[in-house]
Amino acid sequence: MFSFKLGLKNLTRQKRRNILIILVIAFAFSSYLLMDSLMNGMEEMSFDNIKNYDTGNIQVAYPEYWEDREELLLENLIYLNQDMEESIKSADGLLGVSPELRFKANLNNGIDEVAVRGVGISIEQYNQVFATQNYVVEGSMFAPGESKAVIGVSLAELMDLKVNDYITLLVRTKEDTFNTIDIEIAGLVRAPNPMINNGIVFVPLDVARQALNVGNAVSMITLKTVSGDEDKVTKELTDSFKNKNLDLKAYSWKESASSVIALSAAKKGGIGAILSVVLLIGMLGIINNVILSALERTSEIGMMKALGMREWEIVFVFMVEATGIGILGGLTGCLLGYAGVSALVKYGFSIAYIGGDGSQFGIPILDRIYGAWNYPAFSFLFILGVVIAVLSSILPAYWAAKKDPVKAIYHR
Amino acid sequence: MALLELNKVKKIYQQGKIEVPALRGVDLEVEEGEFTTIFGPSGSGKTTLLNMIGCLDTPTEGEVSLSGKKVSDLSKKALAMVRRFNIGFVFQAYNLIPVLTAYENVEFAIRLTDHSSESQMKEKVLKMLAEVGLKGLESRRPNELSGGEKQRVAIARALVKEPKIVLADEPTANLDSETAADVVNIMRKMNKELGTTFIFSTHDPAVMKHANRFINLKDGMIFADERGK
Repeated sequence: MFSFKLGLKNLTRQKRRNILIILVIAFAFSSYLLMDSLMNGMEEMSFDNIKNYDTGNIQVAYPEYWEDREELLLENLIYLNQDMEESIKSADGLLGVSPELRFKANLNNGIDEVAVRGVGISIEQYNQVFATQNYVVEGSMFAPGESKAVIGVSLAELMDLKVNDYITLLVRTKEDTFNTIDIEIAGLVRAPNPMINNGIVFVPLDVARQALNVGNAVSMITLKTVSGDEDKVTKELTDSFKNKNLDLKAYSWKESASSVIALSAAKKGGIGAILSVVLLIGMLGIINNVILSALERTSEIGMMKALGMREWEIVFVFMVEATGIGILGGLTGCLLGYAGVSALVKYGFSIAYIGGDGSQFGIPILDRIYGAWNYPAFSFLFILGVVIAVLSSILPAYWAAKKDPVKAIYHR
Repeated sequence: MALLELNKVKKIYQQGKIEVPALRGVDLEVEEGEFTTIFGPSGSGKTTLLNMIGCLDTPTEGEVSLSGKKVSDLSKKALAMVRRFNIGFVFQAYNLIPVLTAYENVEFAIRLTDHSSESQMKEKVLKMLAEVGLKGLESRRPNELSGGEKQRVAIARALVKEPKIVLADEPTANLDSETAADVVNIMRKMNKELGTTFIFSTHDPAVMKHANRFINLKDGMIFADERGK
């Protein structure tokens, strides 16, 4: 089709302007792809960090405790019995079970005091569920039967503490009387989840139970499953508890992380807004280009009309040109985006550049966000870009094609 | 039956509240194969008359008929089709497409009307370019051609679709006298060889003398209409 050929050849006119528009579109597209990659990477890392260092894949607790779990109250605790253990063990696909006793405490180094969250853990079971042990940077996790503590490096820096120092945890017992836990630091941990580093003290479960005077109670039981099986196992456990007339309930990590998920959804909304801006930039670029081309080629349009070309045939010539710009801009944008996303996936983006760690922005990521590949975003953006290019060229092209032939021919 | 008939054609342009008459009732008949020149002072209505004949514009009053068919009250779409199949144009400023070669500029016109095979179409385009003396220059773009060569491409573009009539508005105005004579000779040659009707406007007496009919336009009316040899 000759009009198609002419449209393509017209791409070689006004090279500088076309290249500029192609670059603007490419920059907008690649920026979107980078933001999308960063957001997806941040979401993946946030969810991994929640699962691997805070909630496990599933948490089992009494609903009354669960609702107020952030209060760290010593009420509605679980007193483990045979029925509970059987129900939990009967669930398919469990890779680890870790009981936890969470409590409020004030950490005292002899000079200063700071509020922390104490977590009583059974170290062998904890290690089956969480990956914290892999991030001990000084000392080690305490051994089974050892009465020592593990704290985060940020907390240690804040309180000027090192391995083998003694700390005092001031706690309130179940009866609301004061008690203390004097304990030696076995190790310092620097986990990818900043919450672990900033304000948590891990102590042996039996030490915590004794200090809090709660018998064999735990706050909750965290479970590790194969990733993706959470919902199935959660349902299975809840059914099992119901069958045994236990008031316990299983909660998938998604319920624990609802605030982070909501934040992630809000960020995706932000990405949608960025996408709209990107497409608007592309659209304005194309419209601007078609209008300028039509103004420059007025007498040529007149000649086309004199030759007997119909309006839609002239529109088609401009649309081919605009589509070509959309395709080239989209391709360049995807190539730039590919390079940028590759770098983000490999090297990541340091949160330190914008100050502090992720916890300051409500995301459970310590210091570096890595991008994630989202291949459909590339094809989606490219196709959408071309469609927008075609659509946004139609009106200005019709405006050009509707010119009065006499005025157009003698236009100077 | 005349190829072209104009019956009391008037054209009035509205400029704000003022009406400016460009044609004041033109009656004209042009037979097939004529080589007609329209001349007259600036503002006499030459271009307006050519636009009416070329179906680029419609008269305010009166009728224009081509091959006996009234075209003056056709829709824009229908007028485009009349132009596509029946009329060729040659403009003073050539109006070639700069990104296309000489060959492609001519091919552009024939593609709109001719649906014969690629090889036949190619043959027609090459033949037409050779006829206007552009053999060997087919692959040059307009910026690689002289003014005269550009106008020859425009003539080839107008003729390649074998129209009933070719309209040329001051086709030699941008050319030096020698080149202008060449261009008008080519037009005359094509008129004789193909029998195509030519109507062209000019100010140049040297160009005018090649015509076999002379229409003198003055104040939007035909002042004189003479036939030569």
